[in-house]
Amino acid sequence: MTSLLGGIFLGWSLGANDAANVFGTAVSSRMIKFWTAAILASSFVLAGALLGGQSGIETLKGLTRFTSNQAIIASIAAACAVTIMTLFGLPVSTSQAVVGAILGVGILNRQLNFSGLGKVVVCWVGTPVGGMVLAIIVYKLLAAIANSMNLNIFQSDILLRLCLIIAGSYGAYALGANNVANVTAVFVGAGMLSASAAVLIGGLSIGLGILTFSKKVMETVGQKLVRLDPFSALAVVLAQAITVHIYALVGVPVSTSQAVIGAVLGVGIIKGVNTIQRRTLVNIFLAWFLTPFVASVFALSLDFVTHLRYIPG
Amino acid sequence: MFKFLFKKERQVQELIYRYLDNLKKAQEHFEKAMDCYFDFGLGENCDFLIAQTHKFESRADDIRNDIIEMMYSKVLIPESRGDIFRLLESIDLIPNHFEAILFMIQGQKIKVPDFIVPDLREFMRVSLECCDLVIRQVEAYFKKTEDIKALVATIDSHESRCDHMEREIVSKIFDADMDPFQKMQLKELVGRMGEIADQADRVSRSVYIINIKRRV
Repeated sequence: MTSLLGGIFLGWSLGANDAANVFGTAVSSRMIKFWTAAILASSFVLAGALLGGQSGIETLKGLTRFTSNQAIIASIAAACAVTIMTLFGLPVSTSQAVVGAILGVGILNRQLNFSGLGKVVVCWVGTPVGGMVLAIIVYKLLAAIANSMNLNIFQSDILLRLCLIIAGSYGAYALGANNVANVTAVFVGAGMLSASAAVLIGGLSIGLGILTFSKKVMETVGQKLVRLDPFSALAVVLAQAITVHIYALVGVPVSTSQAVIGAVLGVGIIKGVNTIQRRTLVNIFLAWFLTPFVASVFALSLDFVTHLRYIPG
Repeated sequence: MFKFLFKKERQVQELIYRYLDNLKKAQEHFEKAMDCYFDFGLGENCDFLIAQTHKFESRADDIRNDIIEMMYSKVLIPESRGDIFRLLESIDLIPNHFEAILFMIQGQKIKVPDFIVPDLREFMRVSLECCDLVIRQVEAYFKKTEDIKALVATIDSHESRCDHMEREIVSKIFDADMDPFQKMQLKELVGRMGEIADQADRVSRSVYIINIKRRV
């Protein structure tokens, strides 16, 4: 169990950070109480991990072969990379960090599954693009439905809040299904856990992160989305959830933050306003290259350190 | 299906309807007080009707405060809270004008010369018609029962008519052979009465903007 601590820590920090992408809008604007959001998010994350998390685990564990020691190194390296990138304020993706760490281990093993890696990298690029395209489609579709319903202010508010709860819960399900692989796939690859135990432990650790440490992040990070009107925020959350869920079905863990940024950009295109600063886009591109690089350097360094032996002179 | 989840929203909605009913009552008593004043001048009956109008104006304030307090206890999305808050603040100026006009007549013991009484009655009738229409429009906004845009146009035309009448009455007052102090006093009264239609027009435009804003 102690050897899984790196993965559990990674899952905990993922839950604490990424819950804001699905319920941040609703909580920071006080449409939903934090505890309602946290309980819903952690329950649906666990459900998503249990019901849809296995294909991501298959993809990540197939990238290279692991020993138990390398699995622990990979999870610690990914956690360190996430921490460093967060300190630099870059939109860090746990998925990219984990893949980077696996890459580092793969270099050491001199064995990498390049076709699997290619699929993962294509999906990284596709995440913000998919979020953007889906946001445009979702916004237009929801707008057509909303405008045809002739609801009064109370009815439309109630409907909007219900939709935000449903979209947030769906987003949490997609987060669990997609991101659980980041937390425990390496341990499955090393034969330390079965796939079903991995999704359970991963789902629980992400849920724990949401319940114990996501309040502040939800209240502050969510405000970035609140600058959008509530209807646009709903379109963003739903587009992000669909994007992440699609990648969960494909079996590639992706970044929910990057899906959100893509979706906000999509809503901005429809409304003809600049919703994202150019700097944020530059940061995404930087993070695409830097996160896996930093994580693989950490994995290589940790492996090197663990192999150092004291030879008396 | 989810009605049990949104009890507070329903309570706010009911309070808004109660506020509008109260506004109608304030308007009825204002109208009666003005009729009484035009017919018999200031007296016991008129004082009673003024007190009644004041009572409904105060009750309107209380209901408005209850609505605001309930809205800010996490009812409705923030944008809607702001819209309703501003709308209520704007509507609430109408009963304030009723009260101010009556207190002005009562406090300053204003005497209206007979030759402008028919004009003032007509002016008041059109102004109060604006109020009726604006209450109907606000109800239509909350209940989605009729076209808001058509009501905006009707209220606007009534308000223009009121402006025209106001100018004519003031002109008649200053053409008449009267004490200049009384002229100024009457001019102020007519100006106050004109504020009713002006405010109704402002409320009507706010409702229209809020309605458009919510279209996506």
